[in-house]
Amino acid sequence: MSTATTALNKLIEAARLDADHVFSAPWEARAFAIALKLSEAGHFSWDEFRDRLIAEVGASDRIRARDGTSDYGEYYEHFLHALERLLDEKGIAR
Amino acid sequence: MSGDHHNTDDTGPAARVKALEAILTEKGLIDSAAIDAIVDIYETRVGPRNGARVVAKAWTDPAYRKRLLANATSAVAELGFAGPEGEHLVAVENTDRVHNLIVCTLCSCYPWPVLGLPPVWYKSFAYRSRAVSDPRGVLKDFGLELAPEVEVRVWDSSAAIRYLVIPERPKGTEGMSEDALAAIVTRDSMVGVAKIAAPTSRRGGSAPARA
Repeated sequence: MSTATTALNKLIEAARLDADHVFSAPWEARAFAIALKLSEAGHFSWDEFRDRLIAEVGASDRIRARDGTSDYGEYYEHFLHALERLLDEKGIAR
Repeated sequence: MSGDHHNTDDTGPAARVKALEAILTEKGLIDSAAIDAIVDIYETRVGPRNGARVVAKAWTDPAYRKRLLANATSAVAELGFAGPEGEHLVAVENTDRVHNLIVCTLCSCYPWPVLGLPPVWYKSFAYRSRAVSDPRGVLKDFGLELAPEVEVRVWDSSAAIRYLVIPERPKGTEGMSEDALAAIVTRDSMVGVAKIAAPTSRRGGSAPARA
């Protein structure tokens, strides 16, 4: 509990210092926009993408729950993995 | 990120996204201008200022508040806010007896048209894993301690539904205009991790409120 609390406090503090930035690196913004654009163009539905994202996040959560480690904003790495996986499954980026 | 992550080589995320963008562009599936436009929308145009306008209108217009609570998707569309992740929006109202908190335990579902993209903590394991089991503990991390008699309701956005919290209107704001009210509504209050503080005396002039 105390580990999780400390982790959340750090993230809250970071958000307060940097309230207006929704992306912490340019590649995060581009990965997000690519996924949204392809979804809007009908190459896949956002629900299909979200299913892969939930799988990536869930796998990471299970490791954290087991090892007691905390996360520091690796969300977009999961996001990118989910996007790559979906594009591969659909044969879109070959 | 620690120095053990070789994010600068061609297996790092930045390089992978660059490669992906190049191949998708070559195939004619995306173009840089369209990607730039989406980034710009979510970095600068869609954000919690939209939700703040919705809340301020709900505070000042009882008929609008009623429509918002009955069908939030159509009520926010009245103000021009619509788009992805806003198709099934539900507004939940804080009172002196009920405090609402939103989370997405499985990933990052969030009402984009009214709040923009979620902050880092919202997507973190630390928040997602405890918001349901220990909401009062999570709120304490945000510096919010609720009286024991206040009921905490946690809304998990993992289904198709996205939630927006209508925070309590603070005392001392009776004479304020809708625009002035919108300026004091914070993102955190619309997620339910904060309350809105009563504005300090405004007699000293028109200095903008600081977050």
